[in-house]
Parts: sequence; structure tokens; C-alpha cells
Amino acid sequence: MSKDLLGRPVPRRTVLKAGLAIGAVQVASPFVLQARGEEPIKIGFDDPLTGTYAAPGKNEQIGCELAVDQINAKNGILGRKIELLSEDSTSGDAGTAVQKARKLIERDNVSFLIGNVNSALSQAMAQVSNEKGVLHIVPGGHTDPITGVDCKWNVFRVCNTTRMEANAVCSLLFKTYGKKWHFITPDYAFGHTLFQGCEADLKKLGGTVTGNELTPLGTTDFSAYLIKARAANPDVLLVLVQGNDMVNCLKQISQFGIEKQIHVAGTQQELESVEAMPPEARVGVWMFEWYWKQAAGTPSLDRFIADIRKRTGGKVPTARNWFGYVTIHAYALACEKAKSIEAKAVAKALADMELPPEIKLQPNKVYFRGGDHQLMLSAFVGELLHQGDGDPENLFKVNSIVAGDAIAPSVAETGCKMQMPA
Amino acid sequence: MTAERQKHLAVLVAIWGALVFAPYWMPLFGGYTALGSRVLVLGLGAMAVNFLLGFTGVLSFGHAAWFGLGAYACGLTLKFVASSTPLGLVAGTLVGGVAGGLLGALLVRRRGIYFAMVTIAFGQVFYYIAFQWLSVTGGDDGLRGFARQPLDFKLFRIDLLHNDVYFYYFVLVCFALAVGIMAFILRSPFGRTMIAIRENERRARFLGIQIELHIWIAFTLSCFFMAFAGALYALVNNFADPRMLHYSLSGDFIIMAVMGGMRTFWGPLLGAIVFVVLQDYLSSVTVNWMSFIGILIVLIVLFFPRGVLGLLRQRRTA
Repeated sequence: MSKDLLGRPVPRRTVLKAGLAIGAVQVASPFVLQARGEEPIKIGFDDPLTGTYAAPGKNEQIGCELAVDQINAKNGILGRKIELLSEDSTSGDAGTAVQKARKLIERDNVSFLIGNVNSALSQAMAQVSNEKGVLHIVPGGHTDPITGVDCKWNVFRVCNTTRMEANAVCSLLFKTYGKKWHFITPDYAFGHTLFQGCEADLKKLGGTVTGNELTPLGTTDFSAYLIKARAANPDVLLVLVQGNDMVNCLKQISQFGIEKQIHVAGTQQELESVEAMPPEARVGVWMFEWYWKQAAGTPSLDRFIADIRKRTGGKVPTARNWFGYVTIHAYALACEKAKSIEAKAVAKALADMELPPEIKLQPNKVYFRGGDHQLMLSAFVGELLHQGDGDPENLFKVNSIVAGDAIAPSVAETGCKMQMPA
Repeated sequence: MTAERQKHLAVLVAIWGALVFAPYWMPLFGGYTALGSRVLVLGLGAMAVNFLLGFTGVLSFGHAAWFGLGAYACGLTLKFVASSTPLGLVAGTLVGGVAGGLLGALLVRRRGIYFAMVTIAFGQVFYYIAFQWLSVTGGDDGLRGFARQPLDFKLFRIDLLHNDVYFYYFVLVCFALAVGIMAFILRSPFGRTMIAIRENERRARFLGIQIELHIWIAFTLSCFFMAFAGALYALVNNFADPRMLHYSLSGDFIIMAVMGGMRTFWGPLLGAIVFVVLQDYLSSVTVNWMSFIGILIVLIVLFFPRGVLGLLRQRRTA
């Protein structure tokens, strides 16, 4: 038994309890109200920081933080500083995302909610933000209904819809590779609508679907699906899964040598996934939603690349960094335009708002469509490169940059009936 | 009135007092009303698990199934059948409880690890049904498109959706009702029989107690309480998803019960408070919050195997 300073024995329980107490002090912050001066505008960020979408989620966070620092350096929004509160929504647990959204709104009283990478979690969060009347931008959840049949007055989206992604590449894939397609699809909202979009486009072009393997989010072993896909003998194998699932799936494809027998391609591809793959797995025609290496470089693009490199230990910006950056800047611009942070006023200001060149960072016109609150952003269509061209992170050869409104279905086709509250 | 009884009364008054005034004192400590509602609902779930684990001595590792079934049934009722909060609760409780009762009949002959395994298996069946049956449950995306409805008393309406404090009191009333029934059962001769089975099953059998029947009744009752908690949880979030049926959630309930103290009536509620508040707070600070909960559980199991309340009680008798 240990002895105390006076040499008396100290019971083990006491030592343990003291240890516990000291441990607790490390994590317990004093629940003291901050001094109330000019209160900052609080922005809630509810995105995956763990799990299969951790990399894109963290990159969206970095993009948001960059924009927040830039805006605060210029005296904030309407003269008030902004503060970003981040929560981990997990990658696939909608219950947790909902709980975190409620926490940000109910406990922290955020004026603006951001999230999510995962489409299903985005939809679930949109229900919460709508119930609470809080402005909400979905930076990177693609499933159609968010700005389609389920569109809401308070919800805007920065990334593409799944239908836009399908329209951007399907005809090219069909021309380049052939007409029998097999799909590996994530089994949730994003995969379902992306598959529907591709299937519809393929039927229009006169092709056939040889099969669709639905894989649960977070699948690590794709061998059973790949064996089935190979047996179906398609011309193209479309990999629609994302995040770590994409990395695992493409790794296994190249281990099985499938890319030597069947063309491998897909719709949405991301730098986060490509960098995590072995070089031989980097194959096929894809679309990026934003790409850093652009033929027509601008000073603001160079500055953005340099700013992000500073925050990521030298890594170039990805589409996710850009999503986060655009999300915060669009909100700030709309608040300044509305001269208010009240949700309805900001929503009105955001509808039909065009992004200025230093924020859109790409050639075509980029604007929020008023009818469905969808950002019309370009699609960067091209091919993956095994090795970096010029820069080790230049792993994609952009063949064309297609304007968003050229690939987006019309508002009427999306099924959105926007209704402002009374 | 004996001193013991006085003390018991004082504890009860303190618990209910803290719960009734929670919306007023919680904000001072960084809490918020919705957190209180969640603690109550998950606490009720943990107490339902403990009803079986602590008082009958049977460990079910698939109780989240009945919790999730209650949630889905409540959500689907609100979405497709009628927009009435009480009806949703009743439907949720009945569906989860009846399903638990039916499957419980197949379970009662198993004991120990085998019982736990079969309950996991049944629970996962429901998880995969909810995951795959896209058209009804929404699959992995979860069930959306329903919301708790105002309580309509003809003379006045109580808006549960937009007023968190009203909703907290609604949950508290439901909680009190369920906990009251639970306490009543535990005090009845049936409750004593449950404890007799827990203490020595063979002796209880020799005394002529029909063990299987009693375990089945206890299991079914526990499922009803669980489903009721699940239905309430669907209302807390206005959302239900397949993870509410997953065995990892069953594990969370058992952790709450163990942390707070099995074999004590209020222990699981205390465990739920610790678990939910710690999760709520730590998950904002670090994405590795689960490690802290894990460390806490290891410490509790190693040093206070009877949980926090068990430790306090031991202290008093020592």
C-alpha cells in the first residue's frame, strides 16, 4: 500500500478515486457562460469526421475554416464575427446526424447549419433544419430529392445532384466503352438515385444494364460482388460507391485484374479517394465536381490553392475543400445582401444568387437556381492518371468542363415545388 | 415511520424533484431540454433491460430490436395511419411488445450465453428487415416524414413539436407512468418470484415455480417497456433508422444498466445520465469519445462491479 506525505498508508480506493477525479478534470470544461459582448454568429457544421467519409468530411471542414478566417479577417458578417462549431455526424448513422443537428440548433442556437457528405444524413438533417426554420446548406450530399421532390425553402445545395453527375458522363462512357453496363452501387439514397439516373440515360442511349450490386455503406470486401459482375460479362463496370468504399473496391478490382477484361469507370470521383488508391487502380473515365488544375488559371485560384496547401500540410485543394469554402462564402454574401441573418431573408437572397469569380474558381457561370435551390456548378469530365502529371497530386486529366445548367434537369423535371413559409 | 423508510422517501423526492425541474436547472450546467428528453427515454430503455437483467437474471443482447420496432411502428403509424401522438405510442408499444412476446416463447428454454446469442440473432433479423425493406422503412436512409403531433384536449392544445419544454414534460409523464408500473410489478409477488429465480433457479423450480413461464412473462413485460421507450425515442428525433434495432444499441443499454448499477431500481437511469451526457459532451470535444466511455466501463467493471448506485449502497451498509 502506498504512503502519503506523512507516511500514513493511503487506501487503494483513494488513489483510484483521485486518479479518476484528475482524469475527469482534463475533459470537463467549466460550463461558464462566455462574456456577452457582440455575440458571434454561430454556424453549425455536422459532417462525417470518422468512418468511410471521414476524408471528404474533414476536407469540407478545412474549406469552411478557411472561409471563416477570411471573413473574420474582413470584419465578419454585418460587422459580427463568425464562429464554426463542428460535430462529427459519423459517416452512415443518420440517427447520430439528427441528434447532432438538434444539439447544434437547440443548445448552441446556430443561425446556419452545414451538412452532410452522406445523402441520407443530409435528408435527415434537412428535416430537422426545416422543422426548426434554420437556414441549411448541404455541401456534399448528392441524392436528387434534396433539391427535388423533397426541396425545402431553407435548404440549399452546393454539390451536384446525382442526375447531373449521370448526365455529365453517361453519353461519353457509352461512346467510349460500349453499351452493356454493370453497376456497383452503395445501398442508400445516394446510390439509389445515382443508379436511377445512369439507368435512365443508358436506356435513352439504347444500352442495357447487366446487373446492379447493392453494397451496404462501409463494405470492405467486394469480392463476391466483383465475381458476379465479371460473370455478367458487361462492357463497362461502373463503380458508384464513394469514400473508403471506392478505394477498397478499386483496389480489389485491380487485384483481380478486372480492369484488364472490362472497362472500369464511374460517375463521381474524388481526389481524396484517388490519392488513397494504388497507382494501378487509377483507371477510367469519371467526373470531378471541381478540380484544382485548370487550364485557365486565375490569381484567385492560385491563392485558394496556396491557402489550402498551408492548412493541409502541402496538399492541393479537393472538391470537398471547395464545397466548404463556397458554402460559407455563399452564406456570408447572402447575409450581406439581405442585411440580416434571419433565415427567410437569407434564403431569399441566396435564391438566384450568382457566385463572384474569386469564389466560384472555375470558368463557367455558377449560381443557385431559385426554383430548386440547387447550385449550378460545372462538371470536370476526364480520365484518371496512374501517376501525377507535373505535380504528384495532378492525377486527373480534365477533357472538358461542362456548365451545370447544361447537365441539370429543369426545375419542373426535378419535381421540386418550392414553398416559402407564410 | 422508520429512518430507513424516511431515507427512501427523501431519495424519491430528490429524484423526482430533479426530473421535474430539469428544464430549469440543466441550462446552468450547459445542458438543454432536448438532452433531458433523450436521457429519460434511454434511461427508460436501460431500466427495461435491467428489469430482465437485474431482477430476473436473464441477459438479453437483442433488446434494441424491440426498441427499434416500437420506434418504427410509432413512426409508420404517424406517417400513414393517423396523426395522433398517443396512437403512435400505443401502436409502437403493442407491436414491439407482442413481437417480443412471441419470439420470447421460443427463447425461454435457453440460458446464459445461449439466450444472449439467440436474442442477438432475432434482433439482427429485424435489423436486416428494416435495412432491406426500402419501400416501407426507408432502408439505410431511415424513416422520415413524420413528426410528433400536438395533444388535442378539445379545450386546449399542447404543441409538442415546437415547444421543447412541453415535450419534456410529456416524456416525463410517460416515463413516470412506465416506471410506476415497473415498480408495482417488482413489488408484487410476481416480482419477488423473479428475484427468487435470479437468486437460485433450481431452488425456485423445486418450490414449484414454473420457471419458463415466469421468465417468459418477465421477458415480454420488458419488451413492452422497451418498445414504449422506442416509440418515445421516435418522437424525440422525429426519425427512426435501422441502427435503432442493431445489437450495438442493445450493448449500449446494457452498458448503461451496468454502469449505473444492476439490481438497483434507479441505477440504469443514473447510468443513462452518465452515458448520454458524456456522449453528448465528449463527442463535441473529440471524435474519439468512445474511448473515454470504454475506459470508464473498464474501470467500473474492474472496481465497482455493482455500478455507481451499487457502490453507494455498499458504502452505506459497510
